Amino acid sequence: MGFARRAILHAAMLITAFAASPAHAAGADAALIEAARREGQVVWYSTLIVNQITRPLALAFEKKYPGIKVQYSRATSTDVALKIASEARAGRIQADVFDGSNTVFPLGDAGLVETYLVEAASAYPPELRDAKGTWTALNVYFMTAGYNTDLVKGADIPKTFDDLLDPKWAGKMAWTTDPTVNGAPGFIQNILALKGEAAGMAYLKALAGQKVVNIPASQRVVLDKVIAGEFPLGLMIFNHHATISAEQGAPVAWARLEPLVSNANLISAVKGAPHPNAARLFLEYVLSVEGQKEVAKSLYLPAHPRVQAQVAGLKPEAGGFKARIVTPDMLRAGEKGWTAIYQDLFR
Amino acid sequence: MSLAAVNARRVLPLVTGLLLAALMLPPLAMLVHGSFAQTNAAGAVTGWTLHHFRALLTAPGVGTTLWNSLVFSAGSTVLSLAVGGLLAWLVERTNAPLRFLATLSTIISMGTPYVLHVVAWLFLLGPVGPANGLWQAAGGAGKLIEVQSMGGMILIEGFLWSPLVFLLLGATFRAANADMEEAARTSGASVPATIWRISLPLAMPAILALALFVFIRAIGAFEVPALVGIPSRIYVLTTTVFESMKTMPPDLGQASAFAVVMVAIVAVLLHFYGRLSANAEKYHSVTGKGFRPRPFDLGAWRWAAGALIVANFIIVLLLPMIALVWMALQRFPRGFSMAGLKTLTLSNFNAVIEAPNYLDLAFNSLLVAAGAASAIMALAAFAGWIAARNAPGGRVLDQLSTLSLVFPGIVLGVAVMEVYLRVPLPIYGTLWIILIAYIIRFMPFGMRYVYAGVLQLHRELEEAAAVAGAGTLTILRRIVAPLLRPAMVAGWLFIFLIANKELAIAVLLASPGAQVAAVAVFDLWVNGQGGELAAFGLLWTLLMTVVAVLFFWQSRRGGADIWGN
Repeated sequence: MGFARRAILHAAMLITAFAASPAHAAGADAALIEAARREGQVVWYSTLIVNQITRPLALAFEKKYPGIKVQYSRATSTDVALKIASEARAGRIQADVFDGSNTVFPLGDAGLVETYLVEAASAYPPELRDAKGTWTALNVYFMTAGYNTDLVKGADIPKTFDDLLDPKWAGKMAWTTDPTVNGAPGFIQNILALKGEAAGMAYLKALAGQKVVNIPASQRVVLDKVIAGEFPLGLMIFNHHATISAEQGAPVAWARLEPLVSNANLISAVKGAPHPNAARLFLEYVLSVEGQKEVAKSLYLPAHPRVQAQVAGLKPEAGGFKARIVTPDMLRAGEKGWTAIYQDLFR
Repeated sequence: MSLAAVNARRVLPLVTGLLLAALMLPPLAMLVHGSFAQTNAAGAVTGWTLHHFRALLTAPGVGTTLWNSLVFSAGSTVLSLAVGGLLAWLVERTNAPLRFLATLSTIISMGTPYVLHVVAWLFLLGPVGPANGLWQAAGGAGKLIEVQSMGGMILIEGFLWSPLVFLLLGATFRAANADMEEAARTSGASVPATIWRISLPLAMPAILALALFVFIRAIGAFEVPALVGIPSRIYVLTTTVFESMKTMPPDLGQASAFAVVMVAIVAVLLHFYGRLSANAEKYHSVTGKGFRPRPFDLGAWRWAAGALIVANFIIVLLLPMIALVWMALQRFPRGFSMAGLKTLTLSNFNAVIEAPNYLDLAFNSLLVAAGAASAIMALAAFAGWIAARNAPGGRVLDQLSTLSLVFPGIVLGVAVMEVYLRVPLPIYGTLWIILIAYIIRFMPFGMRYVYAGVLQLHRELEEAAAVAGAGTLTILRRIVAPLLRPAMVAGWLFIFLIANKELAIAVLLASPGAQVAAVAVFDLWVNGQGGELAAFGLLWTLLMTVVAVLFFWQSRRGGADIWGN
């Protein structure tokens, strides 16, 4: 069984490698599509917000490849890693692909990540694409503060990190408990890099005195609380989330606290996945120009260098803001320390 | 008696017992095992240790966690008893008007997942909800209610449980011996004096037993501690277990140690509950009376009582439902406002109806709840009959099938997960594991229904059949089964309803591919999709209300009340 599956995989890989380029131009090659279709579905454990992007992407894929169903669900990075690790322990892996800012690292350590160089992502810059093929960036993030435009106006809108220390914001700021770069640890690394170790820690201690409220839910929930007026300011929210809500008429905007924290959402295939070919086909699709255009359409920020963001101002070049990119390597090196500071000062 | 009949009488208890043991014992064993096991990074056992218990004793905040659990459980017990008890008395024993409203809110709340109620309450009492909004509009400073607090937790949990208290105490008040009350009244005692000197003392053993029952359930409650407590950094035992399962890698040792402590606490409480309720039965002097006791005439207070019933209806049912409708009709979260009225949209309902995963999810939930209810009633039919007839092995079967009462839902989740992470049966991450957990958890309820149902049947029928030459299986099939049908159907519906309602059991076991409604609602909340959550929740509640109506209709028709008594 294992051998047979491997043999098929190898055959599929060979075919992928030798397939003529015209087929590629149209997307993935016929043999992969056929093999994926026989598997019938792909199971995607996502950290993205379902109604904003996961579902639209799944539907676009199903439309392009009828007969291959996308099963998806959403959880935090940690939860996704946890689920897949438990499934492996129980001898019944169900996930085919997963994403997340740092989901791939613990799972990689546990030997649960498939190496697969996504053909469609060959044009991605090296920081958005693992050379070994364990991950590729699906989209990029810029984290900043969001504010309720009914409650925060004109001169009150924070322009620098120091503005957050104004006593008027005490108890009025919230952030997620997500213990990743997309939560408080990301904020902490940004401050330490910006101000240096000593001044940075002094700033963080002062911020802790502002009693930032911890919300045990996603960044989306934090922003929703800002929109509803529970908090005038939300820290470490995704700038595109604010734009998505503002387009629906919500009283929200994002502040330019420079540099913004930037990182990428990485997508990978699971080793020993029940639908390996569908997993590859799915990766090929979502990372292709066509898939990335779907990402852009849902107002997320595509990773593909040739695909424009729908709202160009959400990215530094067109938006004219500075961002500090946290690469996966920086993340691995610093994460423990930042999380410890968070636990120490803010929990 | 034929040889086959003799065999059936011996084999039946044995087979039933083995099945029950295979269900009930492994989770308990694994939990204890897990709490002493030393494991490596891959989760394999490398030795034995007291470390988990030591860590538990020395961990900062353990005392606070225990204390929080106690305060939370005691507070919500008192509140739900006061609210539900008063209501039950007004409805069953007085001539207060609009009594049907109390029953209506109970039926609908039977079908609503707890987590949905909690979400609605968080909105109503939250910083931008109408409670604080009105307060500020009236010129109040700050917030009227800080819902993210122990007080908020108790308030929500208390109201959450009041419908069940209403049902259970209603049965007590209905069955109360009215002769003594009549005697007191004819001797000239006033209504309050009669209540104070006769009704209350008579009902007291039942009230105390029920209080302990609610307290035990509150110790194991998960929805309110998770949604209200965690954001407020108020941890109780259940949420501590939950959090230790949510680190990477999950700390099974610590979770198991906490779980063992909880099981011990619940076991002790259950022991006292058993004694209290046995005591309560003694006072349960008359049943099956042909007449309903004469209701107290409240006189001029009638309308005040009616106002209380209406207030309860508004608080327990109407406001939460309005909150959910409002949330479902908004594109982004906002408090009640005129501006919000202009932006009403059906987009959330459309998303729920069009997205295929919601349909799958609903189907999965119904399937696994129906499966659990059927399996339980089938097993309980044999076990309950054997136990009620004091047949050989009856006591063991009774104890085995009610063993799982010691498991709070979240603890059972941990235990079942441990079993199937170690046993080479690949059901982790499928609906099967949830099904098994449901069967274990709700088996005691099925047993109660069958046991009480059998007690109502006179032995003579079975003896007559046996004399006429029928074997055990024939008696069961031709005599017992048809007569038990009302109790069986009521039990089935009851289990179906609570299986679809509770979050705690499935929250650790559900997977993306094997999801049930209550867990999905919880996930939607954590992920920030309040609109779709409310839309899905409302449609789901509608469906479950139909089942709940069926249940009440069946219970009334079959003469069994909610508890199968």
